[in-house]
Amino acid sequence: MFEKVLVANRGEIAVRIIRACKELNVRTVAVYSEADANSMHVQLADEAICIGKAAANESYLRIDRIISAAEIADVDAIHPGYGFLSENAHFADVCESCNIRFIGPNSRAMNALEDKAVSRALAKKAGVPIPPGSEGVVDSEQDALAVAKRIGYPVMIKAIAGGGGRGMRVAHNDISLVKGFYTARTEAEKAFGNSGVYIEKFIENPHHIEFQILGDNKGNIIHLGERDCSIQRRNQKLVEEAPSPLIETKFRKLREKMGKAAYRIAAEANYTNAGTVEFIVDNQGNFYFLEMNKRIQVEHAITEEVTGIDLVRYQIMIAMGEPLRHSQSDIQIKGHAIECRINAEDPFDDFRPSPGRIEMYYQPGGRGIRVDSHAYAGYNIPSAYDSMIGKLVTYGKDRREAMDKMSRALSEYMITGVKTTISFQQAILQDPNFRRGVYSTTFIEQLLSGARRELLEEKA
Amino acid sequence: MDLKDIKAIIDLMRKNSISEFELERQDFKIKLKRGSAGGAATAYEDGSTITYAAPLPLPGGIALPSPASAQSAPSNELEIKSPMIGTFYRAPSPESASYVEVGTEVNPETVVCIIEAMKVMNEIKAEARGVITQVMLDNAKPVEFGQPLFKIRPS
Repeated sequence: MFEKVLVANRGEIAVRIIRACKELNVRTVAVYSEADANSMHVQLADEAICIGKAAANESYLRIDRIISAAEIADVDAIHPGYGFLSENAHFADVCESCNIRFIGPNSRAMNALEDKAVSRALAKKAGVPIPPGSEGVVDSEQDALAVAKRIGYPVMIKAIAGGGGRGMRVAHNDISLVKGFYTARTEAEKAFGNSGVYIEKFIENPHHIEFQILGDNKGNIIHLGERDCSIQRRNQKLVEEAPSPLIETKFRKLREKMGKAAYRIAAEANYTNAGTVEFIVDNQGNFYFLEMNKRIQVEHAITEEVTGIDLVRYQIMIAMGEPLRHSQSDIQIKGHAIECRINAEDPFDDFRPSPGRIEMYYQPGGRGIRVDSHAYAGYNIPSAYDSMIGKLVTYGKDRREAMDKMSRALSEYMITGVKTTISFQQAILQDPNFRRGVYSTTFIEQLLSGARRELLEEKA
Repeated sequence: MDLKDIKAIIDLMRKNSISEFELERQDFKIKLKRGSAGGAATAYEDGSTITYAAPLPLPGGIALPSPASAQSAPSNELEIKSPMIGTFYRAPSPESASYVEVGTEVNPETVVCIIEAMKVMNEIKAEARGVITQVMLDNAKPVEFGQPLFKIRPS
């Protein structure tokens, strides 16, 4: 049993982890940057240690400072949350060598999936379909053109070290391919410190469907069903739901097929703890492996609602050496859950981030409403980090009920002082295609181009 | 001693900023301790520095100053703040004398203390010219980033 856990993260996920620890009677240590001194996770933890200035690379990304904090606070384990150091195999290694348990996958599994090119090769080995594309990293303009000729346009140039929806470009012909190849490499070098790119067939109107994985240290692996995350703006997820309306209404058999494929990926990587296997699905029901995220994800909450399983608690238990208590047949998907990521952004101004002080804050409540947030009235949203201030999750016995609750909850949410995406998400929930469950990753783009005229008029 | 007397003592304590009062007589003993208002930032008497967070701002939105950036020194004094997280040592070894004491003159290159992190002893320099006026915490205590270590009166 862990006595003390250090939470190496901030914002709503740090609050989430602290809650899970408290419920297990584990003491918590928060680390925070100077910009986060008044943040909720600092308030809720038993102890708090300042680890640097606001910039992430001077605080939350500083392995030395986090380990020093873990040392002086004498913790047993570190939970890295998502983002920051959560998928950093070197950080996981440093923890282990300092006798601190890392609450996440072992570093071997992380390395087996260390970048997108390596993961594609692993998927191939596991017999899981991947989008047609290059064998690995594409080093030259000539190679890029050869791959495109083989698989046919349109293609996607993707950074192997990319993540969070960044580092991707589409090319429809040789000219845009060559141009995109060089720009993508430069961008990748700047953003991820790795200029490596690979090429994949661009699947038009894809659906983004991912499977939650849990694995213990004894080799047992299960999946907890799928999440549909196709509602994205510039590859950033805004609304997610479980189960996927596409699978529920059109391709029922895909759940078992894709679930098995997700299992095979995790098994091939000898994966432990929580992770997510991402797929894209086309309109004919063909699915292709995209990548595996080796961490707990933002949208884990909707899987928790439909399975009744606390995933963060499971992460801590697995890290303590506990075996899985569920077999695959124990996993039941009941009801329907939807999540809206509440971002401090102005949907009427191209989603420009809106940091600053929250004046009035009232979050929705009632049956079937869950809010995972670190926001409060008087809280100053720092500009140094991402703009997500909370997650609103609704659960109903079916999709209709979950949607009605979400519409109701969004209208109840009161946040003043900063702009939020709430009104935009209300529009999504009212959209007839969304309500029918018929949408792909082009949904928001279509919604925005259709709505633009009205939004512009409102602004004027 | 009746309630009126106790109230008078409490009043005297408050007026004179006395935090503890203890009186023992043949027939009774009383101990009065003034709690800090609203949850103080420092929790321990021994100067241990792992702190409990300051309380939340009030609903009216009165934001509290960030503890790491709060300038508590009077305007003519500077603070030497910790650039790292670790354990604070006043001397190079347990047998040696402290690097600096109150009254020691320092220049920017003077080593004022050691902060140990992961078995590595890091010498911390004053980075200012002046005289040490206060040592802000005890030997072998944990420190966090930005925590004040010494006060200096610059020359």
